Amino acid sequence: MTSATHPLPPLASIEALAGHEFPGGEYTVAHWENFLLTECTGAQLLPGGMVHPVALFHIPMVGAGTSIAEMFALGQAESDLSIIIESYDWEMFEPLREETRYSASGSIVSAERCTSDAGNLFDRIVFRFLLHNPSGALVARTTITWHYTRNTL
Amino acid sequence: MTVLEGDAIPEWVMERVSPERMRTMAAILRDPNPVHWDRDAVDALPLGLGKRTINQGPLGLSYMINMLHAWAGPDCIRRIVMRFPQTVLDEERVVARGTVTAVREGNGVRVADCDIWLEHDARGTLLEGTATVALPAQLS
Repeated sequence: MTSATHPLPPLASIEALAGHEFPGGEYTVAHWENFLLTECTGAQLLPGGMVHPVALFHIPMVGAGTSIAEMFALGQAESDLSIIIESYDWEMFEPLREETRYSASGSIVSAERCTSDAGNLFDRIVFRFLLHNPSGALVARTTITWHYTRNTL
Repeated sequence: MTVLEGDAIPEWVMERVSPERMRTMAAILRDPNPVHWDRDAVDALPLGLGKRTINQGPLGLSYMINMLHAWAGPDCIRRIVMRFPQTVLDEERVVARGTVTAVREGNGVRVADCDIWLEHDARGTLLEGTATVALPAQLS
């Protein structure tokens, strides 16, 4: 166990994350990326240059100008091993297409300290990302909820 | 065939969760978490999983996406909400399953609300959630 080695981040520093906005930006899914992503899922490429929806985990995030590593750091993760997924909520308003330049934005919706049923403290942080097509229409909205475990893993 | 509440969605099987695919996915995602590519790191955690790498959450979810695509077409999914009560481990055989909980009209399209989950023979339900799917003409 690592219980004595990680001081708990001040609660105020966690709660202050709510409202944090990522810089925003753009992302274009190249064919090679869609090919490899789709192969990882065990599926065949989708027709008509459609991107496999598994891309909705990282395309909005990276497009919005952040990364898994930065999201770990913002929540003061004890280590890369200490994050647990609570849920993903992916809303899709049209299929993603290869070689299309999407604009992305993102923010932290909420950040709070919680106690698990087993009595372990964790910080629950909710991220939301929006993806728009070149015409400005909303293509996808994704919500990622992670638990930043504290002296548990 | 018309889809009705209570219908089972044809299952989709991942015969072997591949550690090689986890590594490819980790590189694409730039995911620094070693649980996806370092068996020793997983073995050192107080989880009792042994020397097994842990599948990325989105990859486990993707097996249910593949099931929905095979059933209702490649542009059918409107929403997926997924929770992760258990990990998916390398070399496991897992099965995506689902049932229709409601059929309704949504924005002029016939949609099905579904419970979906990922199952392992011995460990039960690994992932679970809901999906909203637009039904193609042949299912509506």
